[in-house]
Amino acid sequence: MSEPTPTKKARGSVVIMAERCKGCGFCVEFCPTDALDLSSQYNAKGYHPPVLARKDNCTGCDICGMVCPDFAIYGFIKKPTKGH
Amino acid sequence: MATADPIGVLTGAHFIDGDHACSEGAIAAGCRFVAGYPITPSTEVVERIAERFPFVGGVFIQMEDEIASSIAIQGAAWAGKKTMTVTSGPGFSLMMEHIGLAAMTETPLVLVDVQRAGPSTGLPTMPAQGDMMQARWGSHGDYGIIALCPNSPQECFDLTIKAFNLAEQYRVPVLFMMDECVGHMIERVVIPSADKIEVTPRRMHTGSKEEYLAFAPKADLVPDMVKAGDGYHMHVTGLTHDEKGYPNMTVGTQARLVRRLVDKIKLNAEKIVDYREDGVEGADIVVVTYGITSRTALPAIEQARSEGLKVGHLRLVVAWPFPEKRIRELSSKVKAFVVPELNFGQMTLEVERCAAGRANTVCVPHAGGTVHNPKDIYEAIRDSVKGAK
Ligand code: SF4
Ligand code: SF4
Repeated sequence: MSEPTPTKKARGSVVIMAERCKGCGFCVEFCPTDALDLSSQYNAKGYHPPVLARKDNCTGCDICGMVCPDFAIYGFIKKPTKGH
Repeated sequence: MATADPIGVLTGAHFIDGDHACSEGAIAAGCRFVAGYPITPSTEVVERIAERFPFVGGVFIQMEDEIASSIAIQGAAWAGKKTMTVTSGPGFSLMMEHIGLAAMTETPLVLVDVQRAGPSTGLPTMPAQGDMMQARWGSHGDYGIIALCPNSPQECFDLTIKAFNLAEQYRVPVLFMMDECVGHMIERVVIPSADKIEVTPRRMHTGSKEEYLAFAPKADLVPDMVKAGDGYHMHVTGLTHDEKGYPNMTVGTQARLVRRLVDKIKLNAEKIVDYREDGVEGADIVVVTYGITSRTALPAIEQARSEGLKVGHLRLVVAWPFPEKRIRELSSKVKAFVVPELNFGQMTLEVERCAAGRANTVCVPHAGGTVHNPKDIYEAIRDSVKGAK
């Protein structure tokens, strides 16, 4: 299985709802482009939510959204900008 | 072929009912997780499981209902356990959606239905065979399924093991279609030594984690499995999914996936079908039975034979997939099929379909609550040739 090649310019991004997160790390583990880390920040429940640490890697594939048990993250594909 | 773990095998001769024999079969087959919501006439299965499991390292949970039971066992299956749930008519109806989920996610499990008379609450303590078509078609959408029909406590033991083996081999829910009579009938049950019991281990993927495709089929159309927690990336969903397991809701993926779910049983059907024949070669009339009716039909068959009628007996051990090929073959040789059932004609429809007008098909219906009077079956045998070509 070949890994998707990260592009220079990020094709996608994520929305993180930190307060829903329970820090299970599924999103970090399953992201095919290794775009996520667990942040050093805490949410109100005391968990480390994810952070888009390597934002150029993100393809917007939404695998993070698919595996998150708590709907705390989802990925989306960015609209191509003019001249793209 | 692997053999059973001796810890779960009560080798020796026992005098137990079909429900208890089914529990012993499950334990011998390696089942170590059962979730169930007790319901007559299947309660004795879970009672014995609950009693025996602590000694073999199994976990039994009495769930809040049948819906929860049929989903809890699927979690356990993906955690690597051999699992089973046990129910009867009303509970079987509640489990239908999850049979579809197990078919879609190719989760190996055994679901025991000790059939009682319905519809609805019906006759809770009395027999019927009215769930046979529900077993085949109960969940929405298309899928292949396997269903077994024991006719004695000994078979409740033997065939429960077979049910687990088929579930592992083909990664399908296997429906174990007992009936109240067989479930509550007490007979001698001989449990062989563990090294004589063949047990199909789970088909595990052993290759690299990177190359693992959760739903990429092998030559027999069945994919290998991994266990949650072993570090493989997997995603299990009831949505139409690609070989990685991720939802891929396109016409093409749907066509590939559902065709395979149907074909893995259809194309392997000749290996799965199991029936017993007695005096079928050269017969004019073949009585097709399963479960308890295979025993109530015996005096009728004997009487008809004593009067010079050429009567054969074909008993379905595996009801689904149906032995289409054999019934087709026979239909051009015999004059009539007689199908006694504790329903108003369910497997009769299959016999009729396969006979395709080449032989008469006569149902001997019964609403359930008790078994047939053999006289009714005898009369149907006798009259079946009258109307035949
Ligand atoms: S959308 Fe895809 S690439 Fe982006 S963070 Fe989520 S899993 Fe990773
Ligand atoms: S998968 Fe969801 S709950 Fe788990 S760490 Fe990521 S965002 Fe948090």
